[in-house]
Amino acid sequence: MLPIDFSALLASSIHDIKNSLGALRALLTQLEKIYIDPKPDELKHLNFEANRMNNILMQLLILYKIDLSQFSPTIDEHEVGEILEDVSAQQSTLLSLGNIKLITQCDNDLHCYCDSTLIGNALCTLVNNAQRYCLTKVLLSVAKEGDYVVFCIEDDGKGYPENLLTSDYKQLPLIDLATGNTGLGLFFTDTIAQLHVQGDKRGFITTDNNSQFGGARFRLYLP
Amino acid sequence: MTINLASKKILIVEDQAIMRETIKHIMVTFGARHIIEAESGLNAITAMRVDKFDIVLCDYNLLRGKNGQQVLEEARHLKLLPINAIFIMVTGEQNPEMVLSAIDNKPDDYLIKPFNQQQLLIRIDRCYTRKKFLRSIDNKIDSGNLYQAIECCEELLQLNDKKMHLPLLKLRAELAIKVGDFKSAEAIYQGILQERDIPWARCGLGVVAFFLSFYDQAIETFQNLIKQYPVMLEAYDWLVKAYESLGNNESAMSSLNLAVELSPLSILRQKKLALLADKTQNLPVAKKAYMATIKLGKNSIHRSSSDYAGLANVYLKSNAPNEALKIVYELNQQFRNDPEAKLRSALLETRIYQAKDNKTLAQQAYGKAFKLNEEFNRQVSRELRLEMAKTFFLNGNGENCDEILNDLLKTNIDDKPFIKDIELMCDAIIGEEHANTLIQEIKKELVDINNKGVSLFQEGDIQGALAIFEQAITKTPNNHTINLNLIKVLIHDLKASQLASEKILRTQSFINKAIEIGVPHSQLSSLQKELTSLKENLSITS
Repeated sequence: MLPIDFSALLASSIHDIKNSLGALRALLTQLEKIYIDPKPDELKHLNFEANRMNNILMQLLILYKIDLSQFSPTIDEHEVGEILEDVSAQQSTLLSLGNIKLITQCDNDLHCYCDSTLIGNALCTLVNNAQRYCLTKVLLSVAKEGDYVVFCIEDDGKGYPENLLTSDYKQLPLIDLATGNTGLGLFFTDTIAQLHVQGDKRGFITTDNNSQFGGARFRLYLP
Repeated sequence: MTINLASKKILIVEDQAIMRETIKHIMVTFGARHIIEAESGLNAITAMRVDKFDIVLCDYNLLRGKNGQQVLEEARHLKLLPINAIFIMVTGEQNPEMVLSAIDNKPDDYLIKPFNQQQLLIRIDRCYTRKKFLRSIDNKIDSGNLYQAIECCEELLQLNDKKMHLPLLKLRAELAIKVGDFKSAEAIYQGILQERDIPWARCGLGVVAFFLSFYDQAIETFQNLIKQYPVMLEAYDWLVKAYESLGNNESAMSSLNLAVELSPLSILRQKKLALLADKTQNLPVAKKAYMATIKLGKNSIHRSSSDYAGLANVYLKSNAPNEALKIVYELNQQFRNDPEAKLRSALLETRIYQAKDNKTLAQQAYGKAFKLNEEFNRQVSRELRLEMAKTFFLNGNGENCDEILNDLLKTNIDDKPFIKDIELMCDAIIGEEHANTLIQEIKKELVDINNKGVSLFQEGDIQGALAIFEQAITKTPNNHTINLNLIKVLIHDLKASQLASEKILRTQSFINKAIEIGVPHSQLSSLQKELTSLKENLSITS
């Protein structure tokens, strides 16, 4: 049998799934019309899950392109406040379900140099994960630390499992079947963080369980 | 939100009814009252002919006909979009700036699908706020007054808006390049790079090097950028230009080929690739690129009969005259009542039948071309006229050939690349020195006219000098020296006589023209300063 070029196969399948997902979302919108306000929360949830799947597929496609050297970030100066605003907007559907609070914090006029679409996408996935594992709140805060701008996501959940506390995110952790945790979000964020270079400094990420609320803490450092 | 949607005219271009409905619903919820929907690119263009929109939300992947980029290009080309309108491209691409990057005509912003209500509103609001901030500059650029646009830019920079600081500097540097003030552009880019390694600033330095003719340095800059950012199409486009300027068409073509692979939907890149491959005799690449251009052209404002002619020529060069004839037939089908297309097809038929050794039909086609040339003459593009001149010569009609050549040389005397094309053509079929002789004659004539005008001016006969230059400019509209001298005399006249706003406007339009044809900043900037101060005097006295 010929060897299977699994990554190419996967990439084209992702395109297929993405199209399906698009159709699914359209159907959802149609379905939504049947209900009068207030619409059932399940609909919002469905929408959100569809978005989440879309996000994951996007990340896979970008990783595939990076692997083939067909991708490079569009680096420019961006206002951190705007990036946070984008993340909150993206999460607004789920947040409106009411159980969990997303708090964002940063200094006015704080700027960073990055591909804001990429970073926004990565933060969304991670905030989203935090929402799944926290109890009541997630804090997304940004501050300058030496030569880096640091994006920090903290929650009040149980914290990261042991397998996600490694410092080597390049090593995709094994899928934990019990929790369904893949670490893809971390792997993706670490990969794109490293595409952000300034002089001899590169972006990186860290994970620990030192959240000020007692849960997991994720940090993204951009030079 | 700072934007008030109630007063805005909004166009939603989207082929999926549900999506259109959803977007409309969001906009209405937030106060929008004037919303027009279009489910195809064609309908979008029709709608823009009727209404002047403030906001256009356009999906990139429209199922039938034009895609979003083609809508944008056509709308800008036909000036259907008000200068201060915002055009947001909606796309499923995660990195649209790269994947969809066209050579020109970028949308004001991209909105990535899927998006929710808040994401849509934030995008519109930010885009609108930014556009509003830059309004004064955009207006000046639109009216061609680049020096005034620079002044507006400087004024806005004084506001010290941190968020807009870098975008303003970028714009300022681009404007400096446009007026040929390369030193200022270089200083701006270097200043930025001292703080931070930003790809567009590095690319800008390459562009400056290009315009200062430091081609090797430019090439190195672009190559390094591409190494680090393999999808940065802008760097590829400039790299191609730099290679071309060095006369290295082979490298230009292979670089462009890479850029085309990354952005196969960009018609202008495909077109350029076809021309370059044609020049370097790489017929397979030329054929493929011409075919792609023709296909993309079906729904594009950049559709041109020259692409069909190019493809027919490639077939002719590959000894496939029957294939070439088929393309000519298609050309005739696609472009009815288009004089340029008619002339092209007559010229092609002449050569095809000659290749097939069919003297009667070849003679017939030549007769047709002859007539069309008499009828439309200057109405057709200069490349085609050059082709016509060549055909005249090859058919033993040197007189008509020289008539066209003289006219082309006169109107384009300062356009070095085109003059080079004329020289190459002459060298190849008429003989060395032929072009040069014609050029020397024209230059001498221009010097005589200039001398005459200048000496009248020095004798104090301003009106006489003005008459000389005004007449000369109608014959050689693109000549640097005559443009410059006309501007000088006009300004002198303005100073000497009663100030009149229409005279100032007219002088400004000649300065704008001079920038456009590439008169150097060093010769223009002081004239612009004088005119600006005259303008200020006028507004004080009136």
